[in-house]
Amino acid sequence: MDLSGGHCSIVAALLAALLAVGCAGVKQSDTPSAPAVAPAAPTTPVAPGAAAVAAPTAPAATAPPPQPAASPAPPGQAAAKPAVKPGAAAAPPSAKAAPVAKAAPPPLDLKALETELRETKAIGVMTKLSLKNQVDDLLSQFRAFYQGKLKTTLAELRRPFDLLVLKLLSLLQDSDPALAAAIVMSREAIWGILSDRAKFASLDGG
Amino acid sequence: MNIRASLAALAVTAALVASAAAADDATVKKDLTAVIALQGLPCGQVTEVRTLGDNDYIASCQDGNRYHVFVNAQGRVVAQKQ
Repeated sequence: MDLSGGHCSIVAALLAALLAVGCAGVKQSDTPSAPAVAPAAPTTPVAPGAAAVAAPTAPAATAPPPQPAASPAPPGQAAAKPAVKPGAAAAPPSAKAAPVAKAAPPPLDLKALETELRETKAIGVMTKLSLKNQVDDLLSQFRAFYQGKLKTTLAELRRPFDLLVLKLLSLLQDSDPALAAAIVMSREAIWGILSDRAKFASLDGG
Repeated sequence: MNIRASLAALAVTAALVASAAAADDATVKKDLTAVIALQGLPCGQVTEVRTLGDNDYIASCQDGNRYHVFVNAQGRVVAQKQ
């Protein structure tokens, strides 16, 4: 671990690090060879007490509600018709073309996110390093979990993940709101990687 | 005349250096405040900082606590209560 760039530590700033991508290997518990192995990878949320967290897999982006009364603007004379016509449904014909609804899932450019975290002035060097330590700890937990060395569930691992994201957001929200927003938008995508054994392995291994 | 100009320049430089140092000090305090909070330790805000070395500080807190904040050999940020 080279501190030379206290900045390197930054890196992690959560996410990026979560993905353990850039910031120079933090190989804590190492054991490089030995992919997979561990059997226990119960993606079962179970979550006895965890209320809001919900299932780890693709929470958002599912089932966009039908959205009935979203009648798109009628071609020509929109405002011209004041009549509400109680009974006569009069559903506008072109109701099909507006499924958009939710904002598309964030692009999740982790590289850019990592770079921004590294370079933001909203967080001091020591704080960035401290965050990186915590990110590394969390990654170690996931590693141990997937190797079967840690008896826990993904639902339980979600808690420290959320806590770490919150810490990061609290540090950024005032001084770098744009980055904070980017992290909020990438949050589920990052969790999606962490909570998927294969994705995590590819991230962790390389 | 030259002396006056030199003195003025010197004064301006000193003022700039002083303000830069003050800003730097504020930055370090903020940084250490965040570090201590991240470790879950009581502090409030860091009110005074003594630099012992590179990434090595003694931070005095609003609530009276004092911490030795440094980076250990493993690259971990440690906040030790004094």
